Amino acid sequence: MTGEFAAWLRGRTDEELRALVTARPELVTPVPAHLEALAARAATPSAVARALDRLDRFALAVLETLLVAGEPVDHARLAETVGRALDPDAEAGFPAALRRTVDRLRTLALVYGPDDALRLAPGVDKALEPPAGLGPPAAEAFRHHPPERLAAILDDLRPCAAGAAGTGDTGRGTAAERLAALLADPATVERAVAAVSPRARAALEALTWGPPTGQVPNARREVRAATARSPMDELLARGLLAATGADTVTLPREVALVLRGGRVHRGLRHRPAEPAGRRRDPALADRTAAGQAFAFTRLVEELCEHWGVDPPGVLRSGGLAVRDLRRAAALLDVPEPDAALVAEVAYAAGLIASGGSVEGEWLPTPAYDAWLRRPLEDRWAALAAAWLATERAPGLAGDRDERDRLLNALHPGLRRPAAAEVRAAVLRVLAAAEPGFAPDRDAVVARLDWERPRRRGPYRDRFADFTLHEAERLGVTGLGALAGHGRALVADGPERAAAALAPLLPEPVDHVLLQGDLTAVAPGPLTAELGRWLALAAEVESKGGATVYRFTEASIRRALDAGHTADELVAMLERHSATPVPQPLRYLVADVARRHGRIRVGTASAYVRCDDPAVLDEVMADRRAAPLRLRRLAPTVIISRTARAALVDSLRAMGYAPVAESAEGAVLVARADARRADPGAEPRGAPPEVAPEPHVADAVVRAMRAGDRARAAAARHGEAPEGEPPRSPVATTLAVLQEAIRRGSRVWIGYLDSQGRATSRIVEPARLEGGQLTAYDRTRAAVHRFAVHRITGVSTMAGENDE
Amino acid sequence: MNDGPLIVQSDKTLLLEVGHPMADECRRAIAPFAELERAPEHVHTYRVTPLALWNARAAGHDAEQVVDALLRYSRYPVPHALLVDVAETMSRYGRLRLEKHPSYGLVLTTTDRAVLEEVLRAKSVKPLLGRRFDEDTVAVHPSERGTLKQALLKLGWPAEDLAGYVDGEHHPIELVEDGWRLRDYQREAADAFWAGGSGVVVLPCGAGKTIVGAAAMARAQATTLILVTNTVSAHQWKQELLRRTSLTADEIGEYTGTRKEIRPVTIATYQVMTTKRQGVYRHLELFDARDWGLIIYDEVHLLPAPIFRRTADLQARRRLGLTATLVREDGREGDVFSLIGPKRYDAPWKEMENQGWIAPADCVEVRVTLSDEERLAYAMAEPDDQYRLCATTPAKTRVAEALVRRHAGERVLVIGQYIDQLDELGRHLGAPVVKGETTVRERERLFQEFRAGKIPVLVVSKVANFSIDLPEATVAIQVSGTFGSRQEEAQRLGRVLRPKPDGGGARFYAVVSRDTKDQEYAAHRQRFLAEQGYAYRIVDADDVLAGD
Repeated sequence: MTGEFAAWLRGRTDEELRALVTARPELVTPVPAHLEALAARAATPSAVARALDRLDRFALAVLETLLVAGEPVDHARLAETVGRALDPDAEAGFPAALRRTVDRLRTLALVYGPDDALRLAPGVDKALEPPAGLGPPAAEAFRHHPPERLAAILDDLRPCAAGAAGTGDTGRGTAAERLAALLADPATVERAVAAVSPRARAALEALTWGPPTGQVPNARREVRAATARSPMDELLARGLLAATGADTVTLPREVALVLRGGRVHRGLRHRPAEPAGRRRDPALADRTAAGQAFAFTRLVEELCEHWGVDPPGVLRSGGLAVRDLRRAAALLDVPEPDAALVAEVAYAAGLIASGGSVEGEWLPTPAYDAWLRRPLEDRWAALAAAWLATERAPGLAGDRDERDRLLNALHPGLRRPAAAEVRAAVLRVLAAAEPGFAPDRDAVVARLDWERPRRRGPYRDRFADFTLHEAERLGVTGLGALAGHGRALVADGPERAAAALAPLLPEPVDHVLLQGDLTAVAPGPLTAELGRWLALAAEVESKGGATVYRFTEASIRRALDAGHTADELVAMLERHSATPVPQPLRYLVADVARRHGRIRVGTASAYVRCDDPAVLDEVMADRRAAPLRLRRLAPTVIISRTARAALVDSLRAMGYAPVAESAEGAVLVARADARRADPGAEPRGAPPEVAPEPHVADAVVRAMRAGDRARAAAARHGEAPEGEPPRSPVATTLAVLQEAIRRGSRVWIGYLDSQGRATSRIVEPARLEGGQLTAYDRTRAAVHRFAVHRITGVSTMAGENDE
Repeated sequence: MNDGPLIVQSDKTLLLEVGHPMADECRRAIAPFAELERAPEHVHTYRVTPLALWNARAAGHDAEQVVDALLRYSRYPVPHALLVDVAETMSRYGRLRLEKHPSYGLVLTTTDRAVLEEVLRAKSVKPLLGRRFDEDTVAVHPSERGTLKQALLKLGWPAEDLAGYVDGEHHPIELVEDGWRLRDYQREAADAFWAGGSGVVVLPCGAGKTIVGAAAMARAQATTLILVTNTVSAHQWKQELLRRTSLTADEIGEYTGTRKEIRPVTIATYQVMTTKRQGVYRHLELFDARDWGLIIYDEVHLLPAPIFRRTADLQARRRLGLTATLVREDGREGDVFSLIGPKRYDAPWKEMENQGWIAPADCVEVRVTLSDEERLAYAMAEPDDQYRLCATTPAKTRVAEALVRRHAGERVLVIGQYIDQLDELGRHLGAPVVKGETTVRERERLFQEFRAGKIPVLVVSKVANFSIDLPEATVAIQVSGTFGSRQEEAQRLGRVLRPKPDGGGARFYAVVSRDTKDQEYAAHRQRFLAEQGYAYRIVDADDVLAGD
């Protein structure tokens, strides 16, 4: 069968093969040598499972129907069988949907063959077992029954067979095969079912739609229809149930199909159901989301600012300590899970990283400084895009791993590739709804179930919950509905999202309201200059849409320390206040300024003191003293920036006889600076598996085709031509290679291998990029990459153009 | 973008721009669920606390209304988390209810079984409950009604008390409105209280809380126990009740340190109620002396702990709390909520002032400079003595004299903390001093003469904070205080905020020593007053003395 499948694959057009490798990229990493290898790889259980995982419920139902119906299946019969299973509400558009689905399954190489003989690709049948909750076929289910037991069942079932006794029973084959043949006739099964008591029928119905097995004591009982004492006896005697274990009975597939009325599925839909949910005013949802986007961006900024000055340590296991998370939550005034989300998003966006001291600290990165300078909407878009792409699941912070160790925020163990996948799927569902529509959580999960039924599980549901919660926190959704900027983020990327968000954000204001209680209220986000100035001259008391600042003695002093004068401060207040500057505030500024700088503190490395001011006059006047950077503090004291020992030496050289004193009184003042992590510590997971770009897919297909031809012609063209490898100028080499790629033809190249030996190869160039030639190496029968600068020459193959 | 007057902050404060055309409308919309925290001139700050939200729920507002008000008036998008939190918090009130069951008596019932299960497992609640009748109903020991409410509030599931009240002993009381009328807000306050059954009415000093009490008594038509802070206050209540109601002097009893009368209407002081004799609060028995139909707690923010404990046992009686502020220095706002009841009426001071019920006040801080010797002494003093040292500098006496001279002909109160300083001031100003040791009779005489204008200047000690019958002064000069307490400030200001016949403004001077602890404490006062919306200025003592 594999050979048949490979032959079918070979018969696909290049276009179709490109579509296949684009949709199932895992088949071509690494690139298989030829189409036979591709066919083999496509049939492996893992490859099949990955392809099935991506299918929706309807496509899976089509595959299951094919499996149950027994291949090959004619398209019309398939349509009829699947059609019976349809939900009555969902019949419109079914034929076209089925046609599309079959084509898609063919494209994916899960189904092959012409319409009148559709077959499942190798490996698909095993991966689907058990299909649609059906039990095993009768031949399988009764396999382990002893012959005498089978004989008894055959005897009891035969009266139900169509026409005269034994019509359905050819008498050939093993007893199990004969029983299977009998059960394969729906009329026989129907009569057998009609013959049993209502209670027995009820027992059958319980198993009809799966699971197809049930527990009963002593399943392998010797019962005959005539002496049956219980419903279970009746069913076992007629072979309507098979005993597949000491205490297990199974409904054979043939019986179940009859009970299902010839349907394989029920309530099937070829399109997902419309999700239930609430309708919100789209403008209100957008505004709410924008408010949250604004708040979230500020939270990230606040956390980074704080960690820049007071960084928490990195745990030995790699995360953020619970205590530090708690402190962050208190700082940001949000619950701990939200604080974890803020930290995780900042990390995903590359704004924080571990760095600093030997033990490691969580510090903002230089990228943070660049981020900080961008407009608010761009900042949000960067965060939201990072969140969208991250393979980490912030919601798991606080959970325990399989070894019962705590998973802290920023812990490496929070990486879950499925999280990104589910996040994207959930957002797709939200994006599919019209603006302002907020689907219910359960509706979203149901939709995911329809789209990827094989991926469902408690984890997926949790990730879906996380996504809904986090999207709301980030302001991607508002009131549960995807906001306009969230939609742009999902569909068009961060730039468009930022553009959509910008008009919803509050305009920066350039004034504040000053009040008698020494507060300044900025009724919106401040312009950058005013914001920085206020952050210096006042304490922030409350944040949100507005910012409340409070002027205190300490804050005014800080501004004076930063070089502003009292007059400047008052002038700044007057310029930016929408209201008169209150008298107590003026008084406060004047009062702090009055005392500011009365005591002076400075830095010196050494001092010179002498009771005779005349001597010091002399020292100061001496031109040789200039490099010592002396300063006269008082008639009898000079200070210097030069170290004590050097000062003593210099003074000696100048002809004085100084004596060194202990360094008491000299104070070194260092200002603690905000710190940043070293660049390069970018948090990036493995690149997500993405469909190859069209030209890559093209190259891959070409390489495999070449491999195929190579195999076919291995005997004819296996070896490189005799003689010296070709030599040609570089420009010619490139031109010939380009031409060969365009025509898909083979060339003979001379190549210096990594040891510097000159070799010659016959290759089929597929791609020339970045100084690398990707080509199928006939000589080695594999796809190789060649460094262009090591290709010594190239020549076209004789007769190649004829192919 | 919405152009509303409100800005919702992420820390659950609401900023209301006062000058906005929609400000008034917005204030009315948010007042039920947000506590006014600060009311300076341009932007008022309200805070949404769980207690405030529960107060709103108790007053019949639902989360939808709260969210709607926020969304309607907010200038910027409201963080969703805050809306969710509001809805969540409000939904916690009333999931548990205290009810009177026809056959089981007092029971705790729930609309949410999970909540009941949760509180039943709490150690603090378990001993207060009796048999479980069914899945949603548990018996409550009637004596534990108050304690249970306290415990449930602590767990974050405040119970709605629908168990009703005993009527108490009937006693006819009528308001007698001759020559005066019940003001609108007083009527509204009394009505709101009566509709709620029990609770607190918040009105500023001078807004006529006594009259609200009288109106409530007229609604109750029952014997009433009134608890007040001190003896002077008790007299004052009696005078007011005689003037405003049909009650006669015989019907009103005073239960104080000197007199122990129990009448249909009895006025008792917190002090006598909390006096211990041989280790027991013997006078707390007064609560059971009659079948009281109404209990009024004056200045509920000062309610002492033993009365709280006793009040927990009186949950079947109607309780009215009166206060100028719900802010308690000890942070027991939650106990007021669960034991007295939710806030039933509130009006911000500044609004009242705009309506002309209380006098506008001009607050001035006068900074005196310590002499060099005093500064040295101050720097060397023990930290505990520093405040006293700087607060009692003789320089303040000179300033006080100058201020008194400047306001000659007006009624001036000089308020201080330290008796020595007050005596000294009394000598310099030639004014009588009212302090703790002054007898009640003497105090009342002095107050009466001050009121009549026979004494222009009165020096009073801390006692002034706790009496309500200080007559209308137009000028108050504070020379020292107790470490910048917010509550004290409210009281002090209340002294000069009485409406004056001529509608003139009042002055409030605080004399402060520069660069000392005194100035630090003054900063608290300044902030409090500015937050209450009063104009505040700072001047140097030299300017005061020079202008003399």
